[in-house]
Amino acid sequence: MNNGVEPIIQIKNVHKHFHTLRGTVYALRNVSLNVMPGEVVVIVGPSGSGKSTTLRCINRLETIDGGEIIVDNIPLKGARNINKVRAEVGMVFQSFNLFPDRTALGNIVLAQRVVRRRRRAEAVDKAHDLLAKVGIPEKADSYPAQLSGGQQQRVAIARALAMDPKIMLFDEPTSALDPEMIKEVLDVMLALAKEGMTMVVVSHEMGFARAAADRAVFMDEGRIVEEDKPDILFSSPSHKRTKLFLSKIL
Amino acid sequence: MQDESRLTEQPSPTEAPSPEDPPSDEFVPETSTADKIFNWLAGLPWWAIILAVVAVAVLYSMFTSAAYQNVIRFLTDDPQRSTDDLFDVVQIVGEPAMIIGHFTGETQDSVESVITELLTEVIDSSLVTRAGFIEKETPATITVQTDSGSVTIPKDRIKRMEPPDAAVGSDVEISYIDRVTVTGTLTERDDDTMTVRTVDEEIQTFATARILNEETSVIACDKNADPDCTDREVVTILREGEIVTGTLTTLSQTGVSLQLPDESTREFRRAEVEYIHVPTLTIALNEAQAEEPVAEGQEVRIGFVDGTDITAALEQLDQLEDIPVPLRYSEGSARVALVSYPDIKAALEATGAGDVAGLVYLDAGSERWAVADWVDANPDAGVVLASEPRECTRHCEITVKMNDDELTGTVTARSADEISIRTVDAEYVVIDRDKILDNRRMEPGVCALNNLRGCNEGIFLTLRVTFLAYGLALAIGLFVGLMRVSNNPVIYAISTLYVEVIRGIPLLVILLYAGFVISPWIRDHTPVELSDEWEAIIGLAFGYGAFIAEIFRAGIQSISRGQMEAARSLGMSYPQAMRHVILPQAVRVVLPPLGNDFIAMLKDSALISVLALPDLLQFGRLYISRTFRAFEGYNTVAILYLLMTLFLSLLVRLIERRSRLPQ
Repeated sequence: MNNGVEPIIQIKNVHKHFHTLRGTVYALRNVSLNVMPGEVVVIVGPSGSGKSTTLRCINRLETIDGGEIIVDNIPLKGARNINKVRAEVGMVFQSFNLFPDRTALGNIVLAQRVVRRRRRAEAVDKAHDLLAKVGIPEKADSYPAQLSGGQQQRVAIARALAMDPKIMLFDEPTSALDPEMIKEVLDVMLALAKEGMTMVVVSHEMGFARAAADRAVFMDEGRIVEEDKPDILFSSPSHKRTKLFLSKIL
Repeated sequence: MQDESRLTEQPSPTEAPSPEDPPSDEFVPETSTADKIFNWLAGLPWWAIILAVVAVAVLYSMFTSAAYQNVIRFLTDDPQRSTDDLFDVVQIVGEPAMIIGHFTGETQDSVESVITELLTEVIDSSLVTRAGFIEKETPATITVQTDSGSVTIPKDRIKRMEPPDAAVGSDVEISYIDRVTVTGTLTERDDDTMTVRTVDEEIQTFATARILNEETSVIACDKNADPDCTDREVVTILREGEIVTGTLTTLSQTGVSLQLPDESTREFRRAEVEYIHVPTLTIALNEAQAEEPVAEGQEVRIGFVDGTDITAALEQLDQLEDIPVPLRYSEGSARVALVSYPDIKAALEATGAGDVAGLVYLDAGSERWAVADWVDANPDAGVVLASEPRECTRHCEITVKMNDDELTGTVTARSADEISIRTVDAEYVVIDRDKILDNRRMEPGVCALNNLRGCNEGIFLTLRVTFLAYGLALAIGLFVGLMRVSNNPVIYAISTLYVEVIRGIPLLVILLYAGFVISPWIRDHTPVELSDEWEAIIGLAFGYGAFIAEIFRAGIQSISRGQMEAARSLGMSYPQAMRHVILPQAVRVVLPPLGNDFIAMLKDSALISVLALPDLLQFGRLYISRTFRAFEGYNTVAILYLLMTLFLSLLVRLIERRSRLPQ
């Protein structure tokens, strides 16, 4: 695994807790994970196991209470140029979070203009290219409300890709979709993985994991329980907790 | 902009509904506006239609009644402003003496009722018939002695005379037009005169000798608007002012009137005259002989300067009531010797030497003070002035030179000594204000949406204060609203304090604070001095800022967290995400409550009358305090406010509709 290349994401002994009315909830306990450039990592686990929190910490949408996260050689803790890090890390959400007052094209163009300061023509060209890449070139002028869930999620992926990120984070990208739309999103993700994009995917799509992932990670109660190649993890998990979980979802 | 244009392009032809595809809302076939209105009316219950008809009838009868019209005119119209410039006006000019006797009563009535009737009446009744005997007749006028006094009637205004050939002293009945109507646009007004630009073209004929300069130019026509049009050649002529010579009848500060050789009189205003040559008589005497009376048989030697009109000078001298004693040549058997000198200096030196008893000097030009000046400059020359130089006051020949003027137009006729020009530009007619009988503004000289300049300060002030204060309140509200969603506890606390404090104080109290506490403080401690209007604007803006801040805060918080996360995950900073992602969505959400506050502010602007600002309500109260017509007064104020709020309400609804996202 370690053949002279530095991991692009280094998560070292990360702790994270939330204070709620019912007391402190420990979301992450001593989580450590490295992701190499070009690697596709799938994180599975039951609800509340800390998979999404891990992902959001990589993007610093959540702050961490202990440990260290280094993305692309920049330690996130106290990073002043956090917006630069974020621009390099694309994120796709379960609920799409498209900007409803802008067209598909407008969604993809906006951050290019504001963050990357690209000229309008350049940004629009790129947006059209990306819409073609995710398979919906004809929907450029549609508003999110006029798109199906699968189309919206593909626009969201295109929006993240428009920033030319080095890493893509997917937070349950297909969970909010009808079964018939899941495939169109997964196809886009699969193509992306084949192109060599570094991806961290929180998903329960075993098919995708088997086809695209280099590694699968199982998390539970804020800990990484075990990690291995997806085929091995899914077919012959070594840990009892993993077996129990897989037996429920398969 | 781009998004909106797409929004309107939505039903593109390629997406035309197919039969098996149930049409969505956007693809409803276009129905005509008339059909829409008809369908909408048909959908109303019968009582709603009856109510609407009754409401319209009530409003109509209200606003056609004289009492309400008076209030409306008082509350909205600004006669000063609307006649000041560029509006069509009718000036009715005539002899002032007649207005007082003849028209005042009618005018009073007519103003109380309907204006158009008055106009017709004025034109109809301008033909006046008088009976009496002819007192005097000149080539231009006839003076008739009637029971109520004598009237001088210009002959060209006489329409009928019975008997037609009546002579001086005989009884006569005359019908004549006693007024002239000038219709045009008021362009200038001072204390004495009004200038009206007439709308009509006019043909002017004058001697070619008066042309100082003539230039031909071409007025190019707009080929784009009319391809068949032809360019027009016009001449611009600098016309030398007319030189009129006549016998002086009156001379005053404002003008001069002359009796012309043909017995007609002509008046000139000082403003239209380049110079008036009034002969001035100066008499200089030998100092030693100044009090010496003319002895029996003595030769009275009187000096003149070459070029003096000796006959006129002696005539002037004879008319003096106090002819200097040495020059009383006509007394006794004295003989007169007239001695002529080549110039003033020689004449005066001869006078000083005793060669002549006195010098008589008459001049109308620039040299008319020369003798007096020389005597003042040479006190030891032995010459004294008999009296100050005297300007001729009447019965002398004077010359008036009119101003040169420029005339542009097309030549209609040209002969060797005369030229006729049809003016292209409108004429400017100057009317003495004290000769104006009546003065009517024509539409749209009244306060109306297409003529806001005709509206008075009240409505303007209300609208101006509302719009400015609302703009300022929006800025304050947005700023404070952003502070209210801040994570920084200090910023949050400050904004919350502002909102809670201001929201808890009545707006009236805030306005009084702005007017009587804050404004005086600013005046005393800074070089800035706030006008009453800005006090009101600032008071209203800060008062409403608190509510608008809460609206913005609610709007921002109504946008899901995911939007901010998505924006931040794309690398936008917090301000960028706010500006480009959150606020555009939040503003859409808060448009209805913002519109609500806009209308509420228009209504609350009535409170500014406590700062003694002349807003709509203040005008209404002024009217009521003058007339005690509270019912009509407040009704009209209420209806005017209602009209304004309804209009704003439509505006707000339009904006809301335009900003709606496609579904």
